[in-house]
Amino acid sequence: MSIFRRLLGRLGASLIVLIGVSMLIFFIARIIPGDPARIALGPRATDAQVEQMREALNLNEPIVVQYGLFMGDLVRGDLGISLYSNRPVMTDLVEYLPATLELVLLAGFMMVMIGLPLGAISARYRGRWPDNLVRVISLLAVSAPAFVWAVGLVLVFAYFTPLFPITGRISDTLEVERLTGFMLIDTLAAGRLDAFASALHHLILPAFALALSGIGQAARLTRSNMIATYEQPAIEMAQAYGFSEARIARRYAFKPSLIPSLTIIGLDFAALLGNAFLVEVIFAWPGLSRYGVGVILQKDLNAIVGTVLIISATFLIANIIVDFLVSVLNPRIRFSEDNK
Amino acid sequence: MLFNTKTTLLGTTVLAMTLAAAPVAAERILRADEVAVGEIDPAKATDYADTVLAINLYDTLVYPKQGGSGVQPHLATEWAIDGATYTFTLRDDVTFNSGNPLTAADVAYSFERMMAMGQGNSNLFAGVVDSVEATGDNTVVFTLTEPFAPFLASLVRMPVVDMAVVKANEVDGDWASTWMSQNSAGSGQYVITSHDPQTETVMAYEADYFMEPVEGYPETVRYRYGLEPSTVRALMSRGEHDISSQWLPPEVFAGLAEEGATLVTEAGLSGEYFKMNTQRAPLDDVHCRRALAYAFDYATMAQLTQINDEVSSGRPMNGAIPQGLLGYDAIVPNFSQDMALAQEELAKCAYDPAEHLLDVAFIAETPARERGALMMQAIYSTMGFNVEITRTPWALLTEQVTAPPTAPHVVEIAVSAASPDTDSLLYAMYHSSQPASWIASSYFKNPELDALLDQARIETDQDARQDIYAQANAILAQEVPDIFAYELLGAFAVREGVTFHNLADPALTYPNSGFNMRFADISVPEAE
Amino acid sequence: MKRAAYILLSNPLSVIGLLLVGTVFFCALFADFIAPYPDHAGAVMNFAFANKPPSAEYLLGTDVVGRDILTRIIYAYQVALGMGLVVLLIAPPIGVAFGLIAGYIGGWTDFILMRISDIFLSIPPLVLALAIMGLLEPTLLNAMLAITAMWWPWYARLVYNITRGEKVEGYVLAAEVIGASKAHIMFREILPNCVPAIVTKMTLDFGFVILIASSLSFLGLGVQAPTADLGSMVSEGTRYLPDSWWMTIFPGLAIVVAVFGFNLVGDVLRDVLEPD
Repeated sequence: MSIFRRLLGRLGASLIVLIGVSMLIFFIARIIPGDPARIALGPRATDAQVEQMREALNLNEPIVVQYGLFMGDLVRGDLGISLYSNRPVMTDLVEYLPATLELVLLAGFMMVMIGLPLGAISARYRGRWPDNLVRVISLLAVSAPAFVWAVGLVLVFAYFTPLFPITGRISDTLEVERLTGFMLIDTLAAGRLDAFASALHHLILPAFALALSGIGQAARLTRSNMIATYEQPAIEMAQAYGFSEARIARRYAFKPSLIPSLTIIGLDFAALLGNAFLVEVIFAWPGLSRYGVGVILQKDLNAIVGTVLIISATFLIANIIVDFLVSVLNPRIRFSEDNK
Repeated sequence: MLFNTKTTLLGTTVLAMTLAAAPVAAERILRADEVAVGEIDPAKATDYADTVLAINLYDTLVYPKQGGSGVQPHLATEWAIDGATYTFTLRDDVTFNSGNPLTAADVAYSFERMMAMGQGNSNLFAGVVDSVEATGDNTVVFTLTEPFAPFLASLVRMPVVDMAVVKANEVDGDWASTWMSQNSAGSGQYVITSHDPQTETVMAYEADYFMEPVEGYPETVRYRYGLEPSTVRALMSRGEHDISSQWLPPEVFAGLAEEGATLVTEAGLSGEYFKMNTQRAPLDDVHCRRALAYAFDYATMAQLTQINDEVSSGRPMNGAIPQGLLGYDAIVPNFSQDMALAQEELAKCAYDPAEHLLDVAFIAETPARERGALMMQAIYSTMGFNVEITRTPWALLTEQVTAPPTAPHVVEIAVSAASPDTDSLLYAMYHSSQPASWIASSYFKNPELDALLDQARIETDQDARQDIYAQANAILAQEVPDIFAYELLGAFAVREGVTFHNLADPALTYPNSGFNMRFADISVPEAE
Repeated sequence: MKRAAYILLSNPLSVIGLLLVGTVFFCALFADFIAPYPDHAGAVMNFAFANKPPSAEYLLGTDVVGRDILTRIIYAYQVALGMGLVVLLIAPPIGVAFGLIAGYIGGWTDFILMRISDIFLSIPPLVLALAIMGLLEPTLLNAMLAITAMWWPWYARLVYNITRGEKVEGYVLAAEVIGASKAHIMFREILPNCVPAIVTKMTLDFGFVILIASSLSFLGLGVQAPTADLGSMVSEGTRYLPDSWWMTIFPGLAIVVAVFGFNLVGDVLRDVLEPD
């Protein structure tokens, strides 16, 4: 019961925050000087055509009225037409979000599967060479912007040694019908292992480029959490009982420190969603982030607002899910205060 | 990659179908790319990619004349011009991809749709046409408000859509605008298989077409968008890409050529103009403008456009009108750098260069242009000007240039004639009635020129028009609203084994930019 | 303070970090003296020497217009550090004021102020900065503004949490009893207790501001040419991969060096100032 209630509470709070986000981004988008209608119509448009477009986009209304109209449309699932793609923004978001989510989720998976063990090793050998090595590597991973990683990986693994594809989500010669928009799922649903392998092959390099700084971050956090747990009585007890170091590390230090690590990884989702903007551009990945860059460069107001909204919503939902997972893993948290 | 959204609605049948899906056995495939997002609704077409899509998916009454200038018959077999009345006779053997026959009613409807939507190339016809009437299945009559000589040429920008299909997909009187941005309803030699505006458009060959394809025409075309130059470079050397866009930096073209790619160029009635803001001091003084034009280093500019020993993406320009357009005049001298003349003009200029900052902008998305801007800075500083260079993103620049008093002093821009008529270039760039926009970013106001341009619109005799435009060209060369840097030749890298016939042979080349990329005129090898 | 300095200097990692940071600052401050071709920092053309790989003359090679890449990296550090300094001069005070007021006054003020910061925090930081940059003109000043907008809420959060803990401590209650003003309690009593955490965060953030700023300009939304800037250099260089790799690799490494240096120092500083 309390989990359910808590979940509802979080959902409600997130909705309020999202409305706030919509106001923030909408007002920023509208107070900026410039004429989106003229940009949309291209250079040879006459003034009359521009005026006609302004009228159609409600650009001549007062800003509060514009926001009201915008929210009304939003409730109906209408975010307006994108000047960049000439299609409804909603169509674009629905089409491009899965590609980005697939990338971000795989990156998140890599982050957990590589980052946590690295952190655990580091803590286990605290102060010795494996620790120092992991610390330097993870700090390096955190210190390079995602685009530097992406460019470096492309250069090494796609140009110099062509092990991976440079662009695209699946081989040109394969056709897979879209069901969910997640290539890995759609190929499996079609029962096509060759296509699945191709999709995975295309995903690995961009996902790894995206994951690298997260891997560093996760390793660092896991290390410090585990070190904190190492200093707790349970471990000292286990050590006194003469349990093997490996068993202590796994059982008594790693598991409890998993929870705080997971929480932070939830927050790190924001970094993944942000860095996807850089990685998708480099790999020409047909996702929402590349779309985001395109619409931002083109001052496509409707699409900028829509993209920011959907990314924030994704981020909020991801955090609710992580929160839920953590409270399932650790019943004590259910009854503790919400404030972190 | 085929990633089709349309079929998701079919639910379970889709599952059954995909289980049976197998690798496509496309024998011949063409992969080309463009930087910009592609728009497939012909009524919204504006840029190069849109043009390429429009000519392959749709047909127009007339087409730019192969190996020459002006227009040639296409859907229209013949036409009669009587003052302001144009009567076109259509081919009777053309069907749309839907199977519907293409009739005069479709032509009238297409025109109505384009004008009602008011986007894309509709401005070529704004205020020009009084009525369009289908007087028979194969006869359509355009009645103009007054005689308008560029009208026939403008029709290369009026693709004909399938009225029945468009009407069937119309929602709330939107002229099927949403649907048409996702599907094609044309009579073209290719038909849309899937379309994703930021990734690629996939098209399939349509056998039932009224023109013959070349030997080895592609059965499938993937027209890709937004690839980085380095990506195109790598894809081509892996044999995964066939024709590059024309926007690669010269170094990348050269690298591709070294690896065996063929380089071809498309003149496309385009000029590279350094537009000077004639509404802002010190460039509102013609002597200052001339000083800049004489001081400009045309030779270095030519060197910068040189890709390798054989191929260049530019050629010298005589005045404002590129070769192939009426009024082009080889007598108008190529400008060349002459510092003595430049100093002489500068002395006549009412302004002291030291007191005026020259604000030179180049488009952020075309970083190779920084070189031209840097060159200007180097030269003009020696003349005492204080030159400031800014890299401005395209979206911002299009805004800045709408306010002449604050717009940059100099903007480097490539402009192509929209139709094979000089009017589509000169009127848009220099007539004083034109709104401030990047095409008209020299904001030139010259009553004499206006009169000539207006006269050329009414005059229907070609020789007379040639004279009028030659006069206009002479005025422009005197008044230098722009520095006519060079004629732009769009270069394309073509993979070994692929032949881009229309650009390989001048006799096959269409004059307008983009109109050469008829996919069925390109030979590709069988896929391995 | 002395203890902090001692620990920083006795830990090999932080010594390396200090050296890196020192080098970066040195480059930025004395660029005019150490750069091999100081005029190459701006709009200069040198076509005869364009696209040259690293050599004795041009240690890190030249770019497409023939400018020395080493020189441009050295000058780009000026922009990067300037960006870091400005953002970290503006963002923390705003965040600190928000956090102190919300945390100490509580009630509706708390609710409203913290919801405002929640709104900012619920947009992934880079996305917020990108969106703001996309809507404004891409200039150095606006980039600073955009980054500040994404940064201040983190300080608000940090100070808020500390303030909530401190406000029930004896010294605060005592100050309330003797009738000290709210402003006095917030800024004179509570704030000093937040300083170590703020300083550590600022050191760690310095590197990240550089990282975010370079990300913005990588996408063409930051500092504009011809100003030398690391992100733009990488972005422009990628067009010429793989042939002219030096145009991309060296500016990329330059970013890593700076950020890595700040992170090493910040890491050790955190252990010293905030022993958990």
